[in-house]
Amino acid sequence: MEHGFIPNDSAGKSQSEAEPLGRPEPNDRGGQDAIIPSTQDEKGTGEEIVTTKVAQESLKKSMLWDFKARGEPFLWGLGGALAIGIIMIIGFVVLIVYNGVLTFYPKPAAKVVLKDGSVLAGELTRSEVYRPGPEILKNLGEQDRQLIESGKGHARRNLYRTGNFDLYNEDFRWVPDYRVATVQYPRDLVFLERIEWGPFIGTIRSADFNGIVVDKESLSWDELRLQHKQAVKRRKRVKEIERDQMGAINHALERNRLRLRKIEMKQGKDSAAYRKAQQDAQDGEKALRARHEELSREASILKGLDAKFTITPVDVAGREIKLKISDMVRFYQANSLTFLEKLGIYFSRWWEFLTDEPREANTEGGVMPAIFGTLCMTVLMSLAVAPFGVIAALYLREYAKQGRLVSLVRICVNNLAGVPSIVYGVFGLGFFAYVLGASIDQIFFSERLPSPTFGTGGLLWASLTLALLTVPVVIVATEEALASVPQSMREGSLACGASKWQTIRYIVLPRAMPGIMTGLILAMARGAGEVAPLMLIGVVKMAPELPIDSFFPYIHLERSFMHLGFHIYDVGFQSRNSEAAKPMVFVTTLLLISLVFIMNAASIVLRNRLKRKFFTGHF
Amino acid sequence: MIDSRMKSPKKTRTWVLFVDRLADRVITIGGVLVIGAVMGMMVFFIYEIAPLFKGGAVESQYAYRLEKSPESLLGVFLDDYNTIAATVDADGEVIAWHVKTGRSLTAQSFDLGGKRVTAFSQGIDGSDMAFGFSDGTVRFGKIRFESDVLPADQLPKDVEKLNEEDFTDGTAVYSTIPGDQIRKIGVKIKLDDEILSSETKSPITAIDCRFVEFGEKPTKTLLVIDDKGAGTLSSIQSKLNLFTRKAATKVTKTALPRLPEPIAAAFALVNDTGDSVYLAEKNGRVYRYRTEAGERPFLAEAVKLLPDGVEITEFGFLLGGRSLVVGASDGSVNIYFLLKRNDAHSEDGYTLVQTRRFEPHGSAVTGLSPSRRGKTFATSDAAGDIRIRHGTSRKTILRLSESGERSRLQAIVLSPRLNGLLALNRDGSVRFWELDILHPEISLGTLFGEVWYEGYPEPSYTWQSTGATDAFEPKLSIRPLIFGTVKATFYSLLFAIPLALLAAVYTSEFLPHRIRGKVKPMMEIMASLPSVVLGFVAALVLAPLVETWIAAIVLGFVVMPLSLIMAAYVWQLLPPGIALRLQGIPKFCLMFVVVGAALYVAYLSGPAFENLFFDGDFRLWLSSDKGASAPFTFLLTLPAMAIVVSVGASRLIGYRFNRYMKTLRMPYSAILDMVRWFGLAGATLILSYVTAIVAQAMGVDPRGGFVGTYAQRNTLVVGFAMGFAVIPIIYTLAEDALNAVPEHLRSASLGCGATLWQTAIWIVLPTALSGVFSAVMIGMGRAVGETMIVVMSAGNTPLMDWNVFNGLRALSANIAVELPEAPKDGTLYRVLFLTGLILFSMTFVINTIAELVRLHFRKRSMQL
Repeated sequence: MEHGFIPNDSAGKSQSEAEPLGRPEPNDRGGQDAIIPSTQDEKGTGEEIVTTKVAQESLKKSMLWDFKARGEPFLWGLGGALAIGIIMIIGFVVLIVYNGVLTFYPKPAAKVVLKDGSVLAGELTRSEVYRPGPEILKNLGEQDRQLIESGKGHARRNLYRTGNFDLYNEDFRWVPDYRVATVQYPRDLVFLERIEWGPFIGTIRSADFNGIVVDKESLSWDELRLQHKQAVKRRKRVKEIERDQMGAINHALERNRLRLRKIEMKQGKDSAAYRKAQQDAQDGEKALRARHEELSREASILKGLDAKFTITPVDVAGREIKLKISDMVRFYQANSLTFLEKLGIYFSRWWEFLTDEPREANTEGGVMPAIFGTLCMTVLMSLAVAPFGVIAALYLREYAKQGRLVSLVRICVNNLAGVPSIVYGVFGLGFFAYVLGASIDQIFFSERLPSPTFGTGGLLWASLTLALLTVPVVIVATEEALASVPQSMREGSLACGASKWQTIRYIVLPRAMPGIMTGLILAMARGAGEVAPLMLIGVVKMAPELPIDSFFPYIHLERSFMHLGFHIYDVGFQSRNSEAAKPMVFVTTLLLISLVFIMNAASIVLRNRLKRKFFTGHF
Repeated sequence: MIDSRMKSPKKTRTWVLFVDRLADRVITIGGVLVIGAVMGMMVFFIYEIAPLFKGGAVESQYAYRLEKSPESLLGVFLDDYNTIAATVDADGEVIAWHVKTGRSLTAQSFDLGGKRVTAFSQGIDGSDMAFGFSDGTVRFGKIRFESDVLPADQLPKDVEKLNEEDFTDGTAVYSTIPGDQIRKIGVKIKLDDEILSSETKSPITAIDCRFVEFGEKPTKTLLVIDDKGAGTLSSIQSKLNLFTRKAATKVTKTALPRLPEPIAAAFALVNDTGDSVYLAEKNGRVYRYRTEAGERPFLAEAVKLLPDGVEITEFGFLLGGRSLVVGASDGSVNIYFLLKRNDAHSEDGYTLVQTRRFEPHGSAVTGLSPSRRGKTFATSDAAGDIRIRHGTSRKTILRLSESGERSRLQAIVLSPRLNGLLALNRDGSVRFWELDILHPEISLGTLFGEVWYEGYPEPSYTWQSTGATDAFEPKLSIRPLIFGTVKATFYSLLFAIPLALLAAVYTSEFLPHRIRGKVKPMMEIMASLPSVVLGFVAALVLAPLVETWIAAIVLGFVVMPLSLIMAAYVWQLLPPGIALRLQGIPKFCLMFVVVGAALYVAYLSGPAFENLFFDGDFRLWLSSDKGASAPFTFLLTLPAMAIVVSVGASRLIGYRFNRYMKTLRMPYSAILDMVRWFGLAGATLILSYVTAIVAQAMGVDPRGGFVGTYAQRNTLVVGFAMGFAVIPIIYTLAEDALNAVPEHLRSASLGCGATLWQTAIWIVLPTALSGVFSAVMIGMGRAVGETMIVVMSAGNTPLMDWNVFNGLRALSANIAVELPEAPKDGTLYRVLFLTGLILFSMTFVINTIAELVRLHFRKRSMQL
């Protein structure tokens, strides 16, 4: 009715906007005498014979604004709280996305000449306003001091990523503005990413291609790129030999040793079987050792070749180092890149990040093992949680006699969903690893003792722990989904002669599927993002082997693994230089958040799709 | 006809029946098992924790009589595996026997050159000893039990079987151990050359020696007292010459100053570092010398520890040399610490403080044996009672008794691994108990109460699980951890509850539907953020930011509400037509603008505010006790004063004012309302200021209470980051509860002429209150158990103060940090399980309350 005087505000608005804002307030406790004019107004609008204009007129005249009833300051308080909440989320997501997306984009490298004549080169990381301490101010020149005083004691400083850790023993350097003489961006500054020691920023003085020395002027970048490509090929080959092929030999040797030990423990040292096995092992070992020799010879030849292809980079202060071309990951002239080249570097860095292994205590390289570990664990967890969760919910909803006991159990299950994850971690370590795992070791892997196989944290136990953690979520979701299937459908099915299981299988479960899937995916999302219990049970900083490889039995459930969430914790907190690790952490965070968000979004999409499938034309 | 129709459709295939029955069984059994497994967690926790509170137990005991008993016993020695025991007597004779059977073994004796030992001291490590002689000389000796693990087939042929596991060849004992191996243990002795220790060459009456390794150099600190009461302290360092392979000993002697009148020192003790010397007379008088290196020793204190007529019968240190155990003839056993006290009647400001009193014996204490593991010790009395106790937990772990025997106890000795106790009687009979003592240091008192640890000036709640040295005693008080959890929860809820509830009310009652559909999922997305991400951002991004802009943030807490209220009054000035037109989305957007503007204002005026209020540096102001406290008190009292002023004003003039305002026309009434608010705000400021000044004059300083020294990773940051985790949960659940209030209630209220605000606050909120409450409880449950955020951003300092600018260590974070390093089934491991159970119970209780309230709410809303 109030919409009468605000014509464009009526359509499509909810009840909440149809608030009697401009209406005189008859309901004030303590203002009874105000009723008379307001009833008139009410009557007038209620009959809807008054035109807009008249309504406004009468409103103005008889308007008795009861601000107390409107509670405007309180409304703004409420709305402000919501606004703060939304700003927090958007700010958070923007922070992560901005930092995560921009990390790999090549930045220009600045050459900074300081007033005292020293030079440094680096990427500008960030700048901030700070307050120099009194002892610094004392040693400053008059001019600088005045400059700082004019800024009320504040000065601006920039953080440069200088790289060259092997020369400077630091990756980053703060440079206050008052110390800077000039900042240039010379076109010949090179940004070299190395396998060890982090990046190098400087220029290339000369290159040595297998004895052919090329100096700076005549060095062609195409030639260098070509050489680099070949060197990388050699490096990969060496890695393949050393890790894959020689690793396979070591693995075979270890397997032989264990087989021998097993026979020894079962049948004793004097048995014929042991002697035979020993003979076999020795023969096998000989062949394996010979192959090992051969491979290591090949690797050393390649390495020797690598050592002949070097470059001599030199930093801006003139200190030079020698660098094997094969030790370079990537190199570019930071200040003369075209946009397309920058994009190329950007994407190649992403590719490396997603597919490569970590280097330099996880602060560089890629996170492939962590992605792999996270996925493995999540999949295993879902395999465990789905049947058990659904069975428990089916029991509670369809089979158990609904009584006090079942509702008590239901409350407990609901509660367990709220029990801290770390508690599950403690349980997992104490029960799965130390009790179950230790018994498994005793029975099946006694030849490997005292080094534990299942008796310590590992993929299987971590997955089971997380399954235990998320099973209440699945039970609750499934139960709700089952409860939402109308009783009439069950009765109809049973009346048609279907058995209980047939009813559940063909009538109830399909209808409850959207809810179950949603619960399951939500559980997976929670599991994928959970770190605290994993810290206790099986996640490591750097796993030597992936949980799935080419050795029998291919899936190694007992192995410890890497995890994206733990990677964030580890790199951000345990690394040598948290500043240098920060970009990496941001990218990993972006990855983890995307994974969790995608799972959450998938649960919503899936739910909608299944809903459509099962609920079209339903009654 | 009928028959066939009946038959053919009725026949159910057996397969269907079978599957049905199978499914029935599988689901029932599986369901019960899954639920049982989940419930079984609690049982497992209790199973792991239970051994903590078990005392000790006697596993088996052996009694026998020695073939030859020592003449005048000096000391008893036991090996690590409870296999061989040995005694040394005053002639240097060593008698060794198999502990479990008493079969004597041949052992070499100390060749003391015919001299008789007049004083004897045994090191706490159970192998070193010092002999003092009547000519003032001292010799060091050592009994070593050499153990060797051999393969089973190397067992000599001609061995005598002692019991199930052990064999002997007359000198060594061979024990079979798991893994098809045997352990050979034999006795070896070593005697050093004579050292002249006492200058007077008079007979030594008391001697004490500490064997400490300072770095690579083994150092012996030796204290001797001669029959004239003169004391000499020597430090003996042996150094192995790398070229000649000869050990060179360096002896540094210091004479203790003479007492005015000579005493008969019955006991002499020197501590591990050699800087304190205690001489005790039988009558309970103790003389303490301070003998710090490089300084002349002086008599620091003379104190009588026991009442008249009671004699000291045992006087010794526990492991670490800081707890002084005094046993007396009246059966009392007490522990004294040397502590710095302002009211000490001593030369050096320290004094002996009785810190622990133990359950007394029935008769005079006659024996004392400290353990080599922790602060456990055993005492025995004249009646043959033996008690094993723990120095810190004051627990009497076990009571053993030799009272059945006629003869008197001569000596008791705890075995090195604390798994046995050997009692030697005067007549040569021996009793050996095999013990199972798991966690002597744990009692409810040490876990939850204040404990007076060695070296601490007073009892305290301390969590410190690992230390550098062997003598380090783990301090496992759970109180600071529980406190940390409570503190983190409290501050984060202080931040989260108002924000989440206000936002929920706004979303449910005032937000246009179109935006609501977008806002809610957005908040829910926040709930799915992994907490490790929140922790990382909190610690590496937020913490430095907050550190830099702390003043602006403190200011923001004041500016934000003020600007929102201010904006509301400005909004009231709008003509009703425009106000209604902008009612929906534009108003909401305007709120964002106001919030943004408030943040910007706080950011801009942060430094000025810091200069004006806190002498230019807030953090410095916090950590010092200088500077005026009034400005901060002023800020703190603002909210309270605002409430006082507004309540007071509405009581005094509210009614008349409102009536008057209603007679005014639109813009004037709004202006008047705004003026009123300015008046109230001004009054609040003045009142707060006056209060703050008065408080300052009275010496009230917020520093040291809820604020104080600033740490980078602090509770403010934790609260903020935890807000991200908790706000969405409370928000979503509370919004659901508010939304579930039946529409007809709202309609009725609005139909009666109530405004939306009145409907929301007087109708909707009370109806949904229990649902909102349960939302808050569930949010609290999440905050209590949150791990990664606290691990990463709370600094993990187990402190007990409410300072919002300081760190904390929560139960969950503590588990995450310490459990990976805790050895399985050790004390720390079990205590961590206990903290896990506490966490479990806390959240379980909170969630159960929430669930019950929610069910109640559901029932009620069904009735509506």
